[in-house]
Amino acid sequence: MDSFQKKFIEEATDLINNLEEAVLNLEKNSTNNELIAEVFRIMHSLKGGGGMFGFDDISNFTHNLETIYDEVRNGKLKVTDDLLSITFSSVDHLRSLLDPDALKNKQIKKNNDILLGRVDSVLKSTDSSETTQIEEQIEEQDKNTQQTIYIYFAPNESIMDNGTNPLYLIDELCSLGASIVFPRTSKVPMLSRFNSSKCYTAWEVFLVTEEHINSIHDVFIFVEDESELEISKIADFDTLSNEKFNKNIHSLYSEKNHFDPTVIKSLIDEVIEERKSKVVNVNEKLKIFTKENVISSIRVSSDKIDQLMNLVSELVTTQASLSLYVEENQVHALNQLSENIENITRQLRDTAFSISLIPIETMLTRFHRLIRDLSSEFSKNIDFITEGAETELDKTLIQGLTDPLMHIIRNSVDHGIEPEEDRIKSGKTPQGMIYLKAFYSGANVVIKIQDDGRGIDIDRVRQKAIEKELISSEAKYSDKEILDLIFIPGFSTAQKVTDVSGRGVGMDVVKRKIDEIRGTVDLESKENVGTTITIKLPLTLSIIDGLLVVIGDTKYVLPLNLVEKIYAYEHNEFENAFNNIIIVDGEQIPFYYLRDEFNISGKPLNVEQLVLVKYEEKRIGLVVDSVIGEYQAVLKPLGKLYKNHEIISGATILGDGTIALVLDTNKIINELSFKN
Amino acid sequence: MIDEEILQTTNTYLTFQLGDERFAVNVRNLLNILELIPITKVPKSQEFLKGVINLRGSVLGVIDIKIKFNFPVTEYTKETCILVLQVLMEDDLTEVAAIVDSVHDVLEVDEKEILPPLSVGIKFKSEFVTGVIKFNDKFVMVLDMDKMFSPDQLMEIQEDIATDA
Repeated sequence: MDSFQKKFIEEATDLINNLEEAVLNLEKNSTNNELIAEVFRIMHSLKGGGGMFGFDDISNFTHNLETIYDEVRNGKLKVTDDLLSITFSSVDHLRSLLDPDALKNKQIKKNNDILLGRVDSVLKSTDSSETTQIEEQIEEQDKNTQQTIYIYFAPNESIMDNGTNPLYLIDELCSLGASIVFPRTSKVPMLSRFNSSKCYTAWEVFLVTEEHINSIHDVFIFVEDESELEISKIADFDTLSNEKFNKNIHSLYSEKNHFDPTVIKSLIDEVIEERKSKVVNVNEKLKIFTKENVISSIRVSSDKIDQLMNLVSELVTTQASLSLYVEENQVHALNQLSENIENITRQLRDTAFSISLIPIETMLTRFHRLIRDLSSEFSKNIDFITEGAETELDKTLIQGLTDPLMHIIRNSVDHGIEPEEDRIKSGKTPQGMIYLKAFYSGANVVIKIQDDGRGIDIDRVRQKAIEKELISSEAKYSDKEILDLIFIPGFSTAQKVTDVSGRGVGMDVVKRKIDEIRGTVDLESKENVGTTITIKLPLTLSIIDGLLVVIGDTKYVLPLNLVEKIYAYEHNEFENAFNNIIIVDGEQIPFYYLRDEFNISGKPLNVEQLVLVKYEEKRIGLVVDSVIGEYQAVLKPLGKLYKNHEIISGATILGDGTIALVLDTNKIINELSFKN
Repeated sequence: MIDEEILQTTNTYLTFQLGDERFAVNVRNLLNILELIPITKVPKSQEFLKGVINLRGSVLGVIDIKIKFNFPVTEYTKETCILVLQVLMEDDLTEVAAIVDSVHDVLEVDEKEILPPLSVGIKFKSEFVTGVIKFNDKFVMVLDMDKMFSPDQLMEIQEDIATDA
């Protein structure tokens, strides 16, 4: 597959996503012309692009669908539920067609034919239904009215970069009817500054055509965003056949750079005067004016962003060693310079990190769609409300988050929200609600998914846990502890295995996936009121605030957000402690002596440090040799050799070039407590 | 594209010493030769994984080939070197570092001159040896680095250690 095709697939994926979003919106507001136009535009782009890059299946498939929306756009067809459901299925089907060999698969081929059949039937229905008559009337009117359209087309200088030849567009325009084309060359620079790969010419076209003004927009559909385009109907009749008008237009051209709309209007008025018998309605002036396009966003491959992030991380490290050098050697002349560099580096780092952030909105469309499909499947009536869609997260986090969120939402639809009758019985609104809210909280992003369903039956969870011998029947547990059992592997309370959930993989997978991206999951539930799941995530994966400590001759970084307090103790206090428990501020704290756990030889220090860290709801002590201080660590992976080494989540390079290892305190306490 | 370029077979080999045996590695795998720099130990890892080093801002895992080949372990000397290698691990090009006793010549060897590996009298794991070069009346064993770092091999070593323990 060549790089153009890859590029097309990337773009087409975006287009299909946009299409899905537009159709979802259209479902809520089926008469919105802008949305209809957008759906049409996306399909048109898909069809055109598909044809151009050899994805004929996409092109062929979209063709008829596009025709339908063209009819809708022109008011000849209405947006119906049937049409929407065909469109949704088509969106899914288009995704599978992105594989050029998709139609070799029998299932996909069958699906393709079925959908094409449904599309055809919609198209046919327009022919036979009563709308046909109206249609014909409209067509009739259109036929008899020739109109003069003024087009101003000034492509961006760089338009030829992506292979567009503006002259072809002008040719296509001229094929629509009689026309006069005036090139505008005022922007052409001096020969010395002339770049032959740029387009400096603009065109003004007077076109007499029977076509609807939409067809003229269609000519420019691929370049609309990259050019200044003005299309307006200046007269409802053929002005070009009028000799006087023709002459005047030509004489105006030599005089001025641009046609002045008012002058043209007066010219037309003259013509109208001449053609007194005709009535002209100039009110119907359609004017679309795209401002000179300012490119507000560009597409960058994620590899480049990763590379940028690596370089920035390296710069941060190098800068740290510069500061260290200046500090150690007291070079005054360098002091100011080093501080400036530090300042710029910090800003650069923040900017670079913000580039790799994307709003969670990008995954919400999928959830909207999921809930729409599931609610029709389960015949439940569910409203999905989102808040804080603009909240941004690291792109890798978003990737890791989509699956768990999908699962949570499925659970809410399947188990949470009750059928309509049940809701009415328990005094709730017939329509269920799933509410997704995202917001920043300190250095974290919090995502809450709340439903107003039946909640989790704590007794049933307890019963099930006893059945599965996860807890003993005598033991007393708090409701919270019982709820947390849901996160244990192999626990699923669904009594009936459905297509959606209850396949044995349940909340434990959610928890594991969230753990993988260093997040936490919390679950609250009240019977008959609903369930709330709260996911807390770090803003970015690649930088953490840490506490730099020393054990043996190696430095370690502990995540600062988990560190509560640090205490100094004599070595023999740890040695004499019974059962690895030490009394801190009157509280019994279990601790782990990391020197021993890491098998480090050599004589321990007389005074050692006890770092209290949060572990689940408890506090655990970790004993280290000494504490250096806070450190902002740029996290680097340990590489494939250490892939299965869970207790170290990465490494960071210190100012002097040595490596400090970043400890995953949760994992290490887990491992140590399991071992003991 | 880079992958293909780097993994093109060349006829150039670097020879190095492990214990009293001499080995060769194709330079397509070789990125750098470093003198022994401080290695940061990673706690709770297998014996042949010596730790990590900082190579111009990247963190590389270091393995001791001698331990991997069950050679007797000796102290590091000033001859001890770190080879920075680029190998295919799980279909990705990955940089790793390997400790060797010392490095010797660079040889230009025609493919025809590489003999099939010996099957007798070998006291170390031989599945990584792809051939033998005769040089100055001595045998030099050619190592297949991609194979040595394949997940299967790493797993096998882990199992070995598990059974030893």
